[in-house]
Amino acid sequence: MGDLKLTNLNKAYGALAVLHDINLTIEDGEFVVFVGPSGCGKSTLLRVIAGLEDITSGGIDMSGRDVRQLSPAERKIAMVFQSYALYPHMSVRKNLAFGLENLRFKREEIESRIAEAARMLAIEPYLERKPRQLSGGQRQRVAIGRAIVREPDIFLFDEPLSNLDAALRVQTRAEITKLHRDIKTTMIYVTHDQVEAMTMADKIVVLNAGRIEQVGSPLDLFDHPRNLFVAGFLGSPRMNIFKGKVVSRSAEGVVIDLGYAQYLTAKVDPSSVSDGQPVLAGVRPAHFKVSSQGLPFIVQYYESLGTETYVYGTLEGQSEQVIIHQPGHFAPQVGERLTIAPAEGRLHVFDPQTSLAVPNFGEVRRVA
Amino acid sequence: MAARSISSLGDRLLDGVMSIVEAPINGFERLMGRKRMPYLFLAPNLVLFGIFTFLPIAIAVGYAFTGGTGLFVTERPFVGFDNFRQLLSCENYLEPGSCKESLFWTAIWNTLWFVSFNVTATLLVALTTALILNRAIAGRGFFRAMFFYPVLLSPVVIGLIWKWFLDRNGLLNAFLQMLGVPPEIFLLEVGWSRFFVVVVSVWCHMGFYTLILLAGLQAIPKDLYEAASIDAASPRRTLFRITLPLLAPNLLVVLILLMIRSVQIFDEAWVLTNGGGPGTANSFIVQYIYQMAFGSDLRLFGLASAASVLMGLVLLCLTLVQLKLGKKMES
Repeated sequence: MGDLKLTNLNKAYGALAVLHDINLTIEDGEFVVFVGPSGCGKSTLLRVIAGLEDITSGGIDMSGRDVRQLSPAERKIAMVFQSYALYPHMSVRKNLAFGLENLRFKREEIESRIAEAARMLAIEPYLERKPRQLSGGQRQRVAIGRAIVREPDIFLFDEPLSNLDAALRVQTRAEITKLHRDIKTTMIYVTHDQVEAMTMADKIVVLNAGRIEQVGSPLDLFDHPRNLFVAGFLGSPRMNIFKGKVVSRSAEGVVIDLGYAQYLTAKVDPSSVSDGQPVLAGVRPAHFKVSSQGLPFIVQYYESLGTETYVYGTLEGQSEQVIIHQPGHFAPQVGERLTIAPAEGRLHVFDPQTSLAVPNFGEVRRVA
Repeated sequence: MAARSISSLGDRLLDGVMSIVEAPINGFERLMGRKRMPYLFLAPNLVLFGIFTFLPIAIAVGYAFTGGTGLFVTERPFVGFDNFRQLLSCENYLEPGSCKESLFWTAIWNTLWFVSFNVTATLLVALTTALILNRAIAGRGFFRAMFFYPVLLSPVVIGLIWKWFLDRNGLLNAFLQMLGVPPEIFLLEVGWSRFFVVVVSVWCHMGFYTLILLAGLQAIPKDLYEAASIDAASPRRTLFRITLPLLAPNLLVVLILLMIRSVQIFDEAWVLTNGGGPGTANSFIVQYIYQMAFGSDLRLFGLASAASVLMGLVLLCLTLVQLKLGKKMES
């Protein structure tokens, strides 16, 4: 069992509050990713869960136990550090055995767990080596191995891939996902990389300035960002945002004027806005299509990756950059005027006062 | 305004000096080539080093093979290994009385016990202090400075302070009398005087070694301790399995430096014990060398030089061991 419940959790260093009123429930066996920009408190939150940092107020329950007074060792967690934190003077085998020896496991049990973890992570050939004799990727596996042999209720990963090169990062990402599928233990994973978050998580927790902005499945967050921050943070390149105002409302949705002849219709709850209200409209680059009707777009330059093309430009008469993503090789002329329109149901609307998204039909706006 | 004019004066002064120095330096560079220039800059230091270090070593080695009481080499007859023979001839090395130079062997044995007690005590005290100062305790900066302070004192001052403290009418006896304990003449009793020579040495040198160990402790990454705490390591196991193994290179440096400096014990002990007393209980090897050469009218420069050479060889061996072990640890 490895479920986790955080209630009204606060953490401050003196007068500096770094976590504000965190409420979060993680189910047993879930792969949860904490994501957010640098300094948003995601690593602190992980360290609080690990017991490496005290909390200022609030509750932490693991599998129904109040763990606030328990040491990291007593919480039945294992952690993989960003720096790996392998004991440099011990062989890989001793690194893996250290925790179990401390808990006075029998020698045979220790050996069998090491053998199992080494097989799972393919580190058998390196068991007698010291960490400095291993490559970054191998060290990473040993660090994961050290966590696995403990058979914890919850695995904690603190940006474990940030020291690996791009190719190894993709490979290790897949391996961690597979590991989670195999052992089905709760995993909490901290990263600032939204691609890791989107590809690995069952559930993403987006943090900003010590607060949870939104919790949900990767696609839920991508399709229905609760506010401007989440909309901008998830998705690469980031969502295009335009200033506009509500022209009219109907059962179809809300009609928005961005200052061009063509109005756009957003499939959002019309009762949440009023006529004439200023709004921010958001469209992801991939959700713009080149069409006969729509917004005037002047091409500045484009980047073709062969299988896809990013076109950079501005809306006619404006200076803010707009990015559109087209499948395949698409080669417009520099300075060419295209007409672009958001795909059906892909226009997001935000209230500029509160930064909150105007809810879709049937959705109830969650109060911040 | 005044500050600005001073700083502009400083700038002009610097410019002036540079313009004077530049011309000869450029001249030398044309003459010697750029590659040899570093040696030119090192030359003044090397000359001083040569005069005050290498030359005396050479003279001492040379004098070790001469006899007589003359000061200048021309007045001294060559005697071969006689001085070394005199120092080393002994019926039973464990009994200095049976040796030709009984004072030398007394000094050797005294130095050996001093080195073993002093090294052990200083290492333990410095390590414990460093471990405590490495934690986030209140007033950490103050304590660090306080423990280092005696290192800055002159050994003679240290000897005098402690002598005053341990005297028959000193502070310690006054305190003991207050508690109803009869006074003790610490520096005239063999056991106590040896004990306090070690105490004083630990007191005045531990700050330096604490600093080296503290630097080593602070170089151990914090996340290793966090990993150990997640790995359920007890404080004891963390100390013996994480901290001490990772501190080993610093411990080795401290151990060797301590041994070298303990063998060289002289000034504070000389002042504290009034020249090695009671009797020869605190007479150490450097003191023997000093006394043979300059301490009386004997002027046995040859014997003193031979003893210096022997001591130098021991120190050289210790240094080589340090270098060898240090390299082994690095690899």
